[in-house]
Parts: sequence; C-alpha cells; structure tokens
Amino acid sequence: MSDIKRPEELAEDVVEEFSVFDEWLDKYEYLIELGKSLPIIDEKEKTDDRLISGCQSRVWLACEYRDGRVWFTADSDAIITKGIISLLIRVYNGQKPEDIVNSDFSFIEKIGLRENLSPTRANGLVSMIARIKEYAASYDKPAAKAPLKEDVVHALKTVFDPEIPVDIYELGLIYEININGSDIAIKMTLTAPNCPIADDVVAQVYEAVRSVPNAGNVKVDLVFEPEWTPSLMSDEAKLALNMFD
Amino acid sequence: MDVNGHNIRKEFPVLGREVYGKRFVYFDNAATSQKPTGVLELHDRIYRESNANIHRAVHRLSAEATDLYEKGRSAVAEFINAQPDGCVIITSGATASFNLLAHSFVQRFVGNGDKILVSEAEHHSNLVPWQLACERVGAELVAIPIEESGEISLDKFESLLDSRVKLVSVAQVSNVLGIVNPIKEMVALAHAKGIPVAVDGAQGVVHSDCDVAELGCDFYIFSGHKIYAPAGTGILYGKRALLEEMPPFFGGGDMVGTVTFEKTTYAPLPLKFEAGTPNFPAAACYAPALEFADAVRKNAALRAEERCIMMFLVERLLKIDGLHIAGLPKDMEKKVPVISFSVEGAHPEDMALILDKMGIAVRSGLMCAEPLVRKYSENGLLRISLLPYNTMDEAEYFLECLDRTLKMLG
Repeated sequence: MSDIKRPEELAEDVVEEFSVFDEWLDKYEYLIELGKSLPIIDEKEKTDDRLISGCQSRVWLACEYRDGRVWFTADSDAIITKGIISLLIRVYNGQKPEDIVNSDFSFIEKIGLRENLSPTRANGLVSMIARIKEYAASYDKPAAKAPLKEDVVHALKTVFDPEIPVDIYELGLIYEININGSDIAIKMTLTAPNCPIADDVVAQVYEAVRSVPNAGNVKVDLVFEPEWTPSLMSDEAKLALNMFD
Repeated sequence: MDVNGHNIRKEFPVLGREVYGKRFVYFDNAATSQKPTGVLELHDRIYRESNANIHRAVHRLSAEATDLYEKGRSAVAEFINAQPDGCVIITSGATASFNLLAHSFVQRFVGNGDKILVSEAEHHSNLVPWQLACERVGAELVAIPIEESGEISLDKFESLLDSRVKLVSVAQVSNVLGIVNPIKEMVALAHAKGIPVAVDGAQGVVHSDCDVAELGCDFYIFSGHKIYAPAGTGILYGKRALLEEMPPFFGGGDMVGTVTFEKTTYAPLPLKFEAGTPNFPAAACYAPALEFADAVRKNAALRAEERCIMMFLVERLLKIDGLHIAGLPKDMEKKVPVISFSVEGAHPEDMALILDKMGIAVRSGLMCAEPLVRKYSENGLLRISLLPYNTMDEAEYFLECLDRTLKMLG
C-alpha cells in the first residue's frame, strides 16, 4: 500500500493537470473523457441503498473497508458528474479513513468545478462527498467507535444452551470473537453436532451480537472442529453444574 | 416604455451582461422572468421614499405604502379582468396560494371519501398541497391522464367528474409541456355538475389569455415573479362566495376583526387571508410589471415574432437525431414558447452544464413536475422557455451551441 500517494498529493496532481485548460469547454471535454473511462458499477449492483439521488443526476456509490483503507466504486447517469466522480475516486480510493475525514475536498474548487458542488445544483455529487466522508468517519479512530469485546461477551452471555442452564460463553462454545472496524465475526460450536435446534441458537447469537453498541456487520460461523468437550467449560460453569464434586 | 422590436431589450438591464466572457442568453423564463426598469425603479423608490408598514398606522408614509400596495392589487384585478363577485388575494407566491386554497377549501368543502381532481401534468405546487389536505380529511386525489401529445382529452376529463369530486385544480399551461389546456371547456363541463374549478395560471398568465371572466374559473392562481414583478408575491383570485365560507389559513396581524382570548372575528376579504406584513414593495410592483405585460400582449408584431421564433426552434429541434419534444399538440396554436425535450444518449444535466458555459441559461431535470417528466424521460428533460425579449438571433445561437454540445457528449 505504500505506493499509494496521500490524498493531498494526488489532489495536487489533478489541479496541475487541469491548469492547462483555459477554456471551460476543454475542461468539460476532458471530464467527459474521464467519465467514459470510469469503471462502471454493474447494473445489478446499482441498488437503491447505493443510490444517492439528486434532483437532476443520480449517483451510485459502493464503499468497502479493507486492510485499514477505504475503497470506492461509483457511477452516474450524467457523464460530467461521472468525470468528477472519477477524480474523487482517483484521489480518495484506497486511502486511510482519517486522511479522508481530514481532507477538505478543496481541489474540486481549485479546478473551477465549485458550482458543480454547490447545493443549488442539486445533483448527487454533494451528497456523494458527504457519504464518502461519513463512511470513512465510521472507520476512523476504531478504538472510540468500534464495538467493545466486553460488550460482545456480555451479549453472548444472554444466550443459553437449551439443555444446560449455563450460557454459551461460559460453556466454552465460543471459539473466536473477531472485531474488525465495526464488523463482528463469531466462530462458535455446539455441544453436539446433531443438535436439532442449531439454527435457532445461531439466530439467537446473531441477534444478541447485533444489539451490541456500534456493531456493524455481524457474521456467525458454526464449526465442529475442534470438537467441544466439557473441559472447555469455565470454572464458573463447572461450578454451576456441580462438576467439582 | 418601448416594447417595439429590439428596443424591448433595453428595458431589461440584465440582458446586457456577459457570463464567462460570452453573450448571455436567458432561456429560463418559465422559472422566473427578468425585470424591466419600471419595476426596478418603483421597488427601489418604495424603500428609499415610502417605506412603512401597510394598513396599520395613521402616518403619512404608511398611507403612501398602503396606497401603492392597493394599486398593485388593482393592477392585478384589471389585468385578469377580475369581476365584482371575485376577490384578489395577495400571497407570497403561487405555491403559497395553492397551500392556502388547499388547506382552507378542503377544510370547508371536502370530506372523507370525496375527491379532488388534478391532471397528470401539474407542477408540484398544484399537487403536494392537495395531497397534504386530502390526507387530513381522508379524501382522494385523482389525476386526469394526459395524452401522448401532452393534451387533455375532454372526454376522459368528463368521465372523471362524478358526484364525489369537490374541486378540479388544473394548470392552464403546464410548465413542462407548454400546451394551453382547454380551460373554458373544462370549466363548462365541471360547472354543469356543480363542481368549482381552480386554475394554475403560473405559465398561463404569461403566455395565454388570463381573462377570468372569459375562462369562468372559480379560482385563478399565479406568481408575480414569472410576469416581470419581483419575487415574493403571488395571487389567489377567487369567487367571493367560496372565499367567504373558507376559514383563514394563517392567523395573525391584519386579518382580524376583534380579538379576545375566547373568540376572534376575522377581517373582511381580502384581508382575512393576508395575515402578517406582506411583501408590499414587491406587490406594489404589480402595477409597472403588468403595465409592461399588457403593452406586450397588445403588441401584435411582438407576439407574431415570438411565435415565429418558437416555430423555428421546434422545427429545427425536431431535425436533430434522437431528440424528442415532450408535448407536441396537433394544433401548434396551442403551444407556447416553453419547449422541453430529451436527446437519446445525452443527459439533460450535462447538456445544461455545457450550454451554461456557452452563456446560455436553460433548465434541466424534473422541473418540479416529477410524475409528468418521468413519463417522458427517466433522466429528466431540458427546457427552453422564451419571453418576447428573446430574439431570433438568440434562437440561432442556441441551436449552434446545442449542436456543439451534442457533439461533445456523443
């Protein structure tokens, strides 16, 4: 990732590139070219939750957080807007959340496209920038915004094994709790592989974890390898089941 | 004031300016008109010389301001040929007029299960206020379908006039299609069944006949700013018999008879519906604005030239590959110079952005008439709208620029 320049350096490049245009129409010609070369979002993925609706043009934006960086793909039905989107992507794609949050997006103004961003234009671009920032902000300062492991454990302790009056955490059914940004992945098992209400337990775990403050996507994987044995129970659980007699 | 030939342009200081170092061509007149010097001067003079609140105080300036405001009202009454059984109410704009009408009319005359009839080709201002009001009382908003040509079929209209319809509210000229609807015939059909008719004259007052006695409608609504007056003033003309029965919309200063905590009586029309300090300097400007509009509508040569420019634009536009005009009546006499179109493969927003950089102001998008515009084009439309100060030369320049724009986007 070290080969990715920081947003301000990339923005500088764009400003320099645009400095050769004296004429508005040349600028637009160039934006149209850029717009045409933008990798478009597959029609199937132009879903309503990705749609940023303006009064005039529509913008679709898909964001992804991977390896500590934010990745975007976007599309628009208007070609000049699409050209500006391609500049935004060039500058902000693969950047760290904090760098995006701290950026002022002023290069758009520097290349003379301020009015394309003014709210009166009512196109999707202003909302797109807001959405990019919002998305980046949700991954910025993970310590403050991410769900806490103790909250996850607390939530897991509200789910009980149907046959034993001990919660699934103390029983040792939880193998892994992974927190990545706001996303939570749980790896768990059951006391017996043929448990008839396995789906029910998984659903209960999913609901409990989803209710944790700041929880994003929740994933629950049910595994039977390694196999559960009573030795995995906590002392507290063993005590509750009178196993120290 | 000289409205003959090119001299008409001298009445509008803004038309002389440049944008981006290029000549300025203003083709967005359906959104708002430019203002002639007579209007600019009066507006300025009121604030410099006669500024005081109207209808309230006994002092000299208040009397002057009130007088100017009432002269504005008289100018409106004269321009639309208001009748003794009618009343001109001054509001803050056509949108405010519709909200007033929808709220007060529905509250008094419309109940659960009743219907309000609009057309498919309405501006949101003649749509959303009715939705809000209907929702409150459990009434239904029904849309008269329009034909592919953009016209209203009188047969279809008549078939919708059942006993549950309490009011018809339609545009005289759609702000997208620029087609004059057969208001007189529609009023006759509705009145035959005892149903009153409200007319959205926002475009009609500019481009069509706005003689309310001739039209026979019960309400006529328009905005001042589209017909040369300043922004922030609009008109609701209505039959007194209906207005008397309708409750006030806004409560507050100047609309009252006597006020006690138990009971307030209301001022007589029109003040009952004019609570608060109106934009009196703007309303006073109805006088010079409509004087100008009247000179224009009486100038046959000017009107003929405007029609000639429109026909030229329509003919030339239709020759462009993939270009579709929304609203082309068989009888072009019904068309006014409001022309909306789409071009295959070119987004209206892109076209408008590029044209802007060539100095041409046009409108793009949904034009506050989403149900109608979506019917013609998913991405919206591009609209050019002219007033008599636009010239053939501007039309030619626009067509050249459009050609260049489409090449850039192609």
